[in-house]
Amino acid sequence: MTNRPAPILAKVILISLALIFLLLACALFGLSTGSTGFNFAETLALLTGSENSNPIAATILWEIRLPRIILSAAAGASLALGGLVFQAILRNPLAEPYILGISGGSAIGAILGMLAGLSVFPGVPLMAFVGSMLTLCLIVAPTTRQTLVNSNSLLLGGVMVNAFCGAVIMLLISITRASKVHNILFWLMGDLSRLTPEGMNILLAILPCILILFILARPMNLLLLGNEAATSLGLNVKRVILSLLIATTLMVSIIVCQAGLIGFVGLVVPHIFRLIIGPDHRLLVPACALGGGSFLIACDLLARTIPAEGEMPVGIVTALIGAPLFLILLWRSGK
Amino acid sequence: MRHLLQLIIVSLLITSPSFIGAMELIDQVGNTVTIPEKPKRVVCLSPSLTEIVYALGREDILVGATRFSDYPEAAKKLPRVGTYVRPDLEKIVALAPDLCLATRDGNPLVAVQKIQALGIPVFALDPRNLEQVMESVSLIGNALNAQKKAEILVKDMQRRKKQITNRIKTTTTNPTVFFQIDASPMVSAGSNTFIDELIHLAGGINLTAGPRQYPRFSWEEILHLKPEIVAITSMAGGQSPEELKNDWQRWPTIPAVKNNRVAVVEASLFDRPTPRLIEGLEKLATIIHPELFSHD
Repeated sequence: MTNRPAPILAKVILISLALIFLLLACALFGLSTGSTGFNFAETLALLTGSENSNPIAATILWEIRLPRIILSAAAGASLALGGLVFQAILRNPLAEPYILGISGGSAIGAILGMLAGLSVFPGVPLMAFVGSMLTLCLIVAPTTRQTLVNSNSLLLGGVMVNAFCGAVIMLLISITRASKVHNILFWLMGDLSRLTPEGMNILLAILPCILILFILARPMNLLLLGNEAATSLGLNVKRVILSLLIATTLMVSIIVCQAGLIGFVGLVVPHIFRLIIGPDHRLLVPACALGGGSFLIACDLLARTIPAEGEMPVGIVTALIGAPLFLILLWRSGK
Repeated sequence: MRHLLQLIIVSLLITSPSFIGAMELIDQVGNTVTIPEKPKRVVCLSPSLTEIVYALGREDILVGATRFSDYPEAAKKLPRVGTYVRPDLEKIVALAPDLCLATRDGNPLVAVQKIQALGIPVFALDPRNLEQVMESVSLIGNALNAQKKAEILVKDMQRRKKQITNRIKTTTTNPTVFFQIDASPMVSAGSNTFIDELIHLAGGINLTAGPRQYPRFSWEEILHLKPEIVAITSMAGGQSPEELKNDWQRWPTIPAVKNNRVAVVEASLFDRPTPRLIEGLEKLATIIHPELFSHD
């Protein structure tokens, strides 16, 4: 036992470094590409500060593309971690915030906030957080200490809550006047272009959440053994699960407010990394945070550049890539 | 009109050294906006604004427009900056505009704030009725140095509106109208819409007037409403006018169908707050009161 922490630490550092490199590469590519074209050399020159001649290119880089890349990275990381956490708690490969209705709940909160004309900050994000916490309560409330062990009831409850949230969202949309509906629909499909300076500050709240998840990585490993086994190993299962749920819900509701509903990231990214680096959460937490960010930056890059008519919602790209990828993984694991 | 005059008052002020010759204007949502005295590069964030700029003859300074800006024909060739609900910020900035015209009804507030934060002045319009459309024409005229042309346009709109209302005054019959905006779901226009106002000015009764702006209807309700006149807007890329009319032919008990008073009208004459609304009014008046206008 004495020499085990060293190799795992080395592994964490190695994987993190590799993925930081990937994230930076994706970010650089994302920064140099946009609806006005691709210019790698100019971007590099602007980033290194050696060129100040083109103020428009600088504005586009710093004030339009950079916030977008930051939001993509934060959203990708949060949603991938959300998926990872839910899959660990529920011991079910299908779990992710999108499927469990946590995103749906915060979307309802945010839509109600928008319809009530609340401020972009802090009104709407607050409503989104309340919405997602309420759905979380709806999912967790019926579970007792005993049924929390039986994760199926948690999952089933989540699926029901998600269906309910979907219906409420449709109801809200159908009774809203036409010009507002467009706004909400585009936002619901996932829109990464909205980050404001205040939004940037809210995003910072994600960092401590990631830290909490990293600290709880070992307990998450134990949870995989089953809740009874984890309890017998001295883990306070309920407290761990609640801390995980609250940290994840906070992250997800922040992201839903800023970027709308983006599915499949939480499903695809954790599974890919489980296949590559195994089931150890001490590796999976940093891998999902960095890899999820890279994945969403790449998807957003496609969403911004492929359609000739202008950018499309990123949720379409993540689903178009995510669903087939997930099917391939399913077939391969079935062999 | 008093409101209009207040808004037209232009105070010349040099507020920042980078704006040599800047002026302060109050836009239609009540914000004071500092814009260049002679804007040289203007981006419009909705098809209706593009249309107004063309109507004012200032297309020379128009450098970008949103998708679906299809009127007049020349507007189709303008560089595109996304749609009006999803403006492409990067394309807007790349065009280096010194003024952005926006509409409160449609442009997302977040996007508009972001454009302002990028240092581009945004002049917002928010016409809710025919009078305010004329006001927005005057306001844009002030902003773009086209006051004379704006005045001519507004006077022409007023004259044509007067012509219609004067003739409507001579009749006492007010047929009931169902105005179909969309077929599936069946959507009509409630009170506080341009369509409601135009139906009223054209001497008809809007059967779907009510607090909801764009209420939905089932055939059951329509059969019950018994419209005497039906106007259907043609939707781009949708069904042909004949197909749109055929949907109604199934219900011969509806007075409008029985008396062959179902008409298809061009959507852009009714859903865009531009000077062409007057054209829509004239169209609607001949549909509702052919006996008064048929000799035109």
